[in-house]
Amino acid sequence: MTKSTMLLKISNRLHVIRAEHRITQDQLAKEIGVTRATIVAIEGGGYNPSLELAFRLARYFKTDINAIFSIEEDTNEEN
Amino acid sequence: MKKIDLLLLRVFLYGLPIIVLMAIFTHSYDYETAANAGSYVNQLYNFAGFMFGAWMLLAVYLGLRLIFSGTFRKKVLSRITFIKERDEREVMLTGKAAKTTMLTTLAILILLFCLSCLQVSIYSLPPESVADGKNKVISLGLKFDLLRNLPQEASQSDMQKKSILDYVGLPISSSTVILGLIIWQITAYNYSMRRLMK
Repeated sequence: MTKSTMLLKISNRLHVIRAEHRITQDQLAKEIGVTRATIVAIEGGGYNPSLELAFRLARYFKTDINAIFSIEEDTNEEN
Repeated sequence: MKKIDLLLLRVFLYGLPIIVLMAIFTHSYDYETAANAGSYVNQLYNFAGFMFGAWMLLAVYLGLRLIFSGTFRKKVLSRITFIKERDEREVMLTGKAAKTTMLTTLAILILLFCLSCLQVSIYSLPPESVADGKNKVISLGLKFDLLRNLPQEASQSDMQKKSILDYVGLPISSSTVILGLIIWQITAYNYSMRRLMK
């Protein structure tokens, strides 16, 4: 039996946008209302934020959510 | 959470050293000695007894409040277990750590239940009971009691048996098991949380 699975990998440009705005992880964390560890985890790809937090980040940087987060599609064939 | 609960919790915690001191005092004087020692010691002895009784009632009340009051439970047990939920990521990690803790605790409980039910006895029979030239017996059994049984008196044949190994359930007390599980829950949760936070 062959099962086709669509894997979605969420990547982000948060560290790039943060650098553009010249803001530290600590400052961003305080502005958004999360811990610095969460910002570190998002930037490192270890944690995908909730939709609400993603929108909060987009609103803070006055940009579109797609400018920060993007989805890479990857089709994996399993036998 | 009611303010009175917080106040009673403080009384309970700060009263603990006093209770220990009073327990040492009452241990060194038995009731008859205290009654004959004079009015001052006698009154102190009675006061210690009253305080200990009140503290015990407080312990039961706070235990029940922990079960039935969600806010009280969350506030008190979060401090004891060092649960931190400062943002959504920590909430998610807390959930994962709690799941790990719950499953490992359940595994331990299943093992403890099995160990408490199993019975193994190895004994040698008295010469008059030897059958087929075999004088050693391995007895295996399962035991499940809803209530704690009083120890039964050994029968005449039991008294003649020479026991080599006698395992009848867990050798540790129920208080030790409960305390062990409390410590395990806190330790397992914090260990899981630290691993997840890395």
